[in-house]
Amino acid sequence: MTPTEIHQRLLEVFGPDDILGLEAELIDPVIVVRPGALRAVATHLRDAPELAMDFLRLLTGLDRPDAFEVVYHLFSYPKRHSVGLRARLDREAPTVDSVWDIWRTAEWHERETWDLVGITFTGHPDLRRLMMPDDWVGHPLRKDYQKPSVYHSIPTTRPKPSSQAPTHVFPPAEHVAKAEVEGEWMQVNMGPHHPATHGVINFLLETDGEIIRRARPDVGYLHRGLEKLAEITPYGNTMPYTDRVDYLGSMFTNHGWAMAVEKLVNVQVPPRAEYCRVIASELNRIASHQIATGALAMDIGAYTPFIHWLRERETINDIMEIVCGARLTYNYMRVGGVARDIKQPTLDRILTWLDHFEPMIDEFDRLISNNEIFIKRLANVSTISAEEAVSFGLVGPNLRASGVDWDIRRDEPYSVYGDLEFKVIVGQGLRGSVGDAYDRFVCRVLEIRESVKILRQACLNIPEGEVQGKVPRDLKPTANEVYARVEGARGENGFYIVADGQKQPYRVRYRTGSFTGMSIIEHLSPGLMVADLVALIGSLDVVAPEVDR
Amino acid sequence: MNNLQGLADYAIRAWFSVPDPARWPYTWLVYLGFILLAGLIAVGFAAGFAGPMSFIERRIAGRMMSRIGPNRVGPQGIFQFIADGIKSLLKEDIVPAEADRPLFLLAPYLVFTGMFGTFVALPFAAHVIAADLDVGILWLLAIPSLVVVGLLMAGWGSNSKWAVFGGVRSAAQLVSYEIPSAFALLSVVLFAGTLSTQGIIAAQGPWPWEWFIFRNPLLFVTFFIFFISALAEGNRAPFDLPEAESELVSGYNVEYSGMRFVFFFFAEWANLWVMSALATTAFLGGWQVPGMPAVEIAAMTGWRFVGWEALSFLIFALKTSVLVFVVVQLRWTLPRLRVDQLMTTCWKYLVPLSLITLTGNLVLLALVPERGVVDWMMRGLMVLIAAALALRYLQRVRANYLADRENYRKMEGKELWYPPYRLP
Repeated sequence: MTPTEIHQRLLEVFGPDDILGLEAELIDPVIVVRPGALRAVATHLRDAPELAMDFLRLLTGLDRPDAFEVVYHLFSYPKRHSVGLRARLDREAPTVDSVWDIWRTAEWHERETWDLVGITFTGHPDLRRLMMPDDWVGHPLRKDYQKPSVYHSIPTTRPKPSSQAPTHVFPPAEHVAKAEVEGEWMQVNMGPHHPATHGVINFLLETDGEIIRRARPDVGYLHRGLEKLAEITPYGNTMPYTDRVDYLGSMFTNHGWAMAVEKLVNVQVPPRAEYCRVIASELNRIASHQIATGALAMDIGAYTPFIHWLRERETINDIMEIVCGARLTYNYMRVGGVARDIKQPTLDRILTWLDHFEPMIDEFDRLISNNEIFIKRLANVSTISAEEAVSFGLVGPNLRASGVDWDIRRDEPYSVYGDLEFKVIVGQGLRGSVGDAYDRFVCRVLEIRESVKILRQACLNIPEGEVQGKVPRDLKPTANEVYARVEGARGENGFYIVADGQKQPYRVRYRTGSFTGMSIIEHLSPGLMVADLVALIGSLDVVAPEVDR
Repeated sequence: MNNLQGLADYAIRAWFSVPDPARWPYTWLVYLGFILLAGLIAVGFAAGFAGPMSFIERRIAGRMMSRIGPNRVGPQGIFQFIADGIKSLLKEDIVPAEADRPLFLLAPYLVFTGMFGTFVALPFAAHVIAADLDVGILWLLAIPSLVVVGLLMAGWGSNSKWAVFGGVRSAAQLVSYEIPSAFALLSVVLFAGTLSTQGIIAAQGPWPWEWFIFRNPLLFVTFFIFFISALAEGNRAPFDLPEAESELVSGYNVEYSGMRFVFFFFAEWANLWVMSALATTAFLGGWQVPGMPAVEIAAMTGWRFVGWEALSFLIFALKTSVLVFVVVQLRWTLPRLRVDQLMTTCWKYLVPLSLITLTGNLVLLALVPERGVVDWMMRGLMVLIAAALALRYLQRVRANYLADRENYRKMEGKELWYPPYRLP
């Protein structure tokens, strides 16, 4: 159904008192709903069989001059249609009903919205701050936010180091609490510095010996305020910042941002540039999946596969260095094209490397994928059913491993993916049940093989031509809203931009795969062993900066 | 110990002109000095195995991971372990403020003592053994139990939850796996008829078909039971749960620094040698030189004696090194088991299996006369199977090397830069 049809249907069911209108002029249309009716509308959207909006892509809090807004981007896997919902809230007391039990992924989204925008969600079970410390004052993404001058007697600004000696005094270190055994269980901090957390994340484990009662992720250590930064940076200049959203998959965040802005300012991308984007993205996907699968093997205790993958990844880094001058934060794409062309010698080198690389995947499989201990450690561990995966908003390989046949590259083709032949890998329950940790691992290994196929086709079929389209000098899109998404290594990388006619966006929201991947861990953790939790984190391929942004 | 006492008595008579040391009031002082001296020599001797073992393991690991490994200190980096040792000695010895101080400080020494005590009863060559104890095997099974105490103390004394995890894991693991390994050695003791390590070697012969491992199919199985249990007892992968880096950060030694930290790893690397040497002694014929019985070596004098001793030591070292290499290779190939899987492996598979092999060995011992027709047939069969396996292994090595070389030539356009027999 189109958004208009969905709007019509909602009008029939709920009437014009609750459904206030359809903003059809937006690139991604949004239905405006009365806040009081939001829960009813949301339940209807999810449960009505012909609507079946089972996936909440993104929940955004917006600070408008006259009102606060909550925007829900919804999607239906069975029906393949999408629409936005918007609720306008009172500027003085922004309150709205929580939808956490309708879409479980809303739990963390609402916590983040409360934290950063200050919208209260009534009925939320655990409305604590997510990114900022629990005792932080204020909501940083509000437009009228004033940074507190002091936090825990540490000033948040400082004089020039040369001019003055430091004046502040650090508070005395709190006495480190001893092992607090309350009843039958013990609380353990796993992180923020722990080899298995793949970045700076803290897990508060409540364990009974080796068996976990509950694992609560405590994120926000890497919160760099990239969404706020995007609000004060011109559209084109945000590109290097998007590298930092996900340092293992910069190409996807580059691509998603470029696509979002191109939709806003209506720029055409030349075909060669699209091919360049696909080649770079797929190389990046291989590199990212290598880190994911290799690090999972390392978490399970096998170091050698990881090092072997790093050796192969080194060639990708070399190629990336030739292509865009950087080995990690690529900053390769531009609005309307790419920064540099991929020349023929580089294409030849990629093809030679692919010939070398494909047998290496077999070697990796022999070394670790078919290892009996490895399979025993992962099979049937932390199985995620398809319903759970969709409800918690898992995307990418994690979603496909649970048996949902969905890949944005194939189902909503962007760039030139429509012209390329490749298979979408879906979890089969190879060694255990569908959606277990081993499936997630195997999905990634098989996706590496598919990426190799895509790369071969793209390198051979790349057309001649320009790599940069015609783009106005000043990117000043008119007031509009867009949600663009690409299939990143960790799933859907979504970019929601609210433009207001300025050189900078009014509000930007990044939707990342790791954020929702992280939010399911608490739900899956009861009953796992400590070693299983490590496998779970590794198999979800959670990258810390992508969670925190 | 008697040798040491005799030596001390001799010294007292010679240096202090005391005719009867038993009545001399300062005898105990000299004894103490000699015990300390012997301890120093023993530690130096054992460290002489642990240090190079760390270097060898790192180089093999490097080769397996297609990197180089330490190659800066000395020719090919062979003095790396000395540099590491000096560095650790110079480092600050940090004791956490909340730690249980005596336990924390004592724990490394217990681990160290437990592991290095085993060197006493290890027969390195025909006559190179610190003490050929009558209860050698019992000693070798009992003294490493100190390690469990040490690891538990380290885990508890650190007052860190991760260290406690590691300590408790190691206690459960080591205590469990002592059972199958003891049963496996018991089979050998049955066949040898003695608990003395030299006696066990003497009960075997120098040729492969005279070794216990190829004596009969059940002993062949027993060898692997022992090998797996020994891996687990030594915290080696795939059983390195007490120090699982990715789960427990570093396990029981997470709060240690400087030399105390090194003591744990000393013990680990020494154990690598100890477990391989024990397997060699019990199953692979020890130091026996083909064509030269131990009695004849003992009868020799002068340089001939030293030469034959050295040869027997070389043979022992060679056999042990092969096993060490296998252990290292396993460590850098296999992932780690989970705790419950570890316990399952031990209690549900290894313990029953070791009991079965023990009973079967008893039956075979009673029914099959030694050096009868059936005995020789079994030995021949086992040797043939082993030879086939070894040949298959070498074939795989060759195939891998050739594929490797081809791949390298294709990618880099030049020849592989190392021959297969040489470390890079």
